[in-house]
Amino acid sequence: MKEMIYQTICPGCGVGCGLFIRENDEGKLSIDHMKSSPVNLGKLCRFGMKLPHYYAKANNAENMVDGSAVDAETAIKAAVDILKDADTDSVALLSVGNTSNEEQMAFTKLAETLGTVVQTGVQKMCMPEPRTLAGIEKAKKIVLFVDPYVQYPLIVRRLLAAKQNGAHVISVGTKPLNLADETLDLKPEQYGELELDSESLIIADVHPNSDAGMVSYVKALAKGTGAGLQFMKPFMNSNGAALLANKDGSRIGLAELMEDIELGNIRTLVTLDSDPVELMPDAEAAIEALKKLDKLIVISSVKGPATGMADVVIATDPVYSKAGTFLNVEDSLQKNSGTGKAGVDALSLLNAGIGGKTFTHDEMNYLVMKTIEASKDGPSGKMQCSGTDIAVSSTDIPEDMYELRYLYNPFMWSDREDDNDFVLLNRNTVKKLGLKKGGCVNLKGEKGELKMRFRVESIPDGLVLTAKKLSIAKGVSTAISMEVC
Amino acid sequence: MVEVGDRIIGYSTDTGVRNKGASGGLVTAVLAAALEKGLVEEVVVLKHISEYEAVPIITSDVNEVLASAGSMHTVPVNLAKYAVGKNVAMPGKACDIRGVIEQAKRNEVDIDNTYLIGLNCGGTMYPVQTREMLINMYEIDPEDVTGENIEKGNLIIRTRSGEEKGISIDELEEAGYGRRESCRYCDVKIPVNADLACGNWGVIGELSGNATFCEVMNEKGVRLLENAIEAGFIEVQPASDKAIAIREKVNNVMLSMSEKWSEKIFTEIPDSERTRYYMEQFADCIDCGACKEVCPACTCGEDSKCTMYHNLEDNYRMSMFHMVRLMHLSDSCIGCGQCTDVCPADIPVTTIFRRFAEKSQKKYNYKAGMTLERPPFLEVMPR
Repeated sequence: MKEMIYQTICPGCGVGCGLFIRENDEGKLSIDHMKSSPVNLGKLCRFGMKLPHYYAKANNAENMVDGSAVDAETAIKAAVDILKDADTDSVALLSVGNTSNEEQMAFTKLAETLGTVVQTGVQKMCMPEPRTLAGIEKAKKIVLFVDPYVQYPLIVRRLLAAKQNGAHVISVGTKPLNLADETLDLKPEQYGELELDSESLIIADVHPNSDAGMVSYVKALAKGTGAGLQFMKPFMNSNGAALLANKDGSRIGLAELMEDIELGNIRTLVTLDSDPVELMPDAEAAIEALKKLDKLIVISSVKGPATGMADVVIATDPVYSKAGTFLNVEDSLQKNSGTGKAGVDALSLLNAGIGGKTFTHDEMNYLVMKTIEASKDGPSGKMQCSGTDIAVSSTDIPEDMYELRYLYNPFMWSDREDDNDFVLLNRNTVKKLGLKKGGCVNLKGEKGELKMRFRVESIPDGLVLTAKKLSIAKGVSTAISMEVC
Repeated sequence: MVEVGDRIIGYSTDTGVRNKGASGGLVTAVLAAALEKGLVEEVVVLKHISEYEAVPIITSDVNEVLASAGSMHTVPVNLAKYAVGKNVAMPGKACDIRGVIEQAKRNEVDIDNTYLIGLNCGGTMYPVQTREMLINMYEIDPEDVTGENIEKGNLIIRTRSGEEKGISIDELEEAGYGRRESCRYCDVKIPVNADLACGNWGVIGELSGNATFCEVMNEKGVRLLENAIEAGFIEVQPASDKAIAIREKVNNVMLSMSEKWSEKIFTEIPDSERTRYYMEQFADCIDCGACKEVCPACTCGEDSKCTMYHNLEDNYRMSMFHMVRLMHLSDSCIGCGQCTDVCPADIPVTTIFRRFAEKSQKKYNYKAGMTLERPPFLEVMPR
């Protein structure tokens, strides 16, 4: 019996939890806890514990051209032909950070040859310097704009340690958190009530569906009070993707990118481990938008809705078996023990095919290290962030309707099976609708109906929260009506 | 001729293994001989990733067994589940062995085909915390460390230069370092539940640091030792009365430390506060299921009572998952600490389960994982 043991990080979110993936000679995968990882001490959340399911062979991407399985060479050649024929002004590249720095760098090289930039799904914006997650434990006052239990579970222990050290924890939101001393549903103009100072820490997150106005307000709050600001990120290599995307050139949010596709400004899309259907809150609308493309090239390690729609799929190694490095949310460089280089090799051939140079994994690694080194002293790292006048977006909810709101969860992108298929309602709503424990509620929106189980939580009237992506959602916030099933 | 009850002192005949392995490499050599001579099909060993990290592997390669030599007190893994469904030999701390015995009670491990070499253990430590401790308390670069040992209540650290530095365990633990909490109150230091109980306690004089004290606990232990001797993998000699006395003395010191920790940690909870206590303890649970996954006493698989009657949509802070597991573990928790180690919310799960189990296990004078005896809770109480 011979087992392969891979030292890797969890692809669930930007925390970058270390773990071992064990593969036996029959290909069966299991996890081992990597207790020497300073990020997570071997601890994993519900998503991490389910990685053997996520990485199951059936979920691996396969090389495809026009829906038929082909070898890697044929897939790459087909992609080269597409890119050669495409009008370069209408080609977009998307990579949100679900893969290694080396593949990110290779993707940027491809973008340069094409004369475009790599879109990361998040607008180019001034961001504060990353802070260490251990620093959470030292803060005197912590303001949470995230639900750590659902969104970034591995910071729960940091927050509890901070509380043991005397920190006062305030959750700004609608859902009460056990670890918070207070839950305050504040509007941005009320943030002064938080009374923050330089010993305080704000924890928020930035992702493709973030409200740009809210991000600006949070940055302004930190700047105005001197409080520290820790932005959590949803993808394992969000920081690597942001750092290694072309330095110059405009970066737009995922919603704008999809709008450009919708409008016909983008005719060819190349994605690197980034599926717009999984990333966008309205999967159906994303599918319709992708149908308007002339060509879709998907470079990915996993199957997803976009691989099923793609003209060409170029398969890369599963994340755990890739060679390469990752930058977690605190900019800590982590390394895989795997040796798979299929992604960089494919991008090299693709790049050469359209007139650029070939490159190796080692060359990409060298450039990654150089870029990381330069970023430590570079101007971007020390950029001072101030608020902007971007307004916080809001959805008008008619008085007789409810607001279905996403409790954004980084794991939503994977849309894997989980047992969180229920919505949160408050007691008044349950009584008003005549719902019974163990029963279900029928959610109705413009996009149709959906029967869901429910859980009672102390949230404001008129609100319905979901940590799972729902087919009736039009965006992060959707007006719906409800009735008993 | 080896007999049950024999106490010997021995070491590997291979100088490489003898130098690299802890205490003369006897355990590594016995495992390698078991594989080489076909006593077992596979061996469970720890594959070194670094001085502070290792992963268990199951191997049929003798060289891989020999390469695993070396002590790893900063690798708190429990090996029990790796023995499931195999014909293996494995080393293990008392808690590893207790885990295997619990698996055997539930017919997951064929105990007759599983050879268990127990290792004395005063406690294991967390890798990240240990590195921090070396810097802050020992003023030693963690990369310079070559080994560690517990002697006379001190944790001794050895470095590449041959230097040894010891600090009292009490002092380290007061400072928040040292052994994992479950190790502090663990009351089985010499693994008398294994086939062989091995360690360096009682190795004195010229052989100190270069040989292993080994007690033969049963017929399987006899087979293991005789096999290794016949294969020429080890050399042994009877332990002296003095060596036996010293081993017992070290054990008693360690057990008395454990008792103090037990008294400190397992304070009585008044009945009126018990429900509130358990509810508060589990209030930050994120339902990852890791505590069940790593539990060496759990054999239920994915669909079990604790998961089937529990759902995330329940509003209760303490769920059926916790309650069913508290009940299940009241007769089988071995206090290995794995559940605490992997809890992402840092809930001291082991201590909570041990606290719950302690009362009933004490009442019936029952200690899980020591023998194949059925838990008395399963028997009908006579009138």
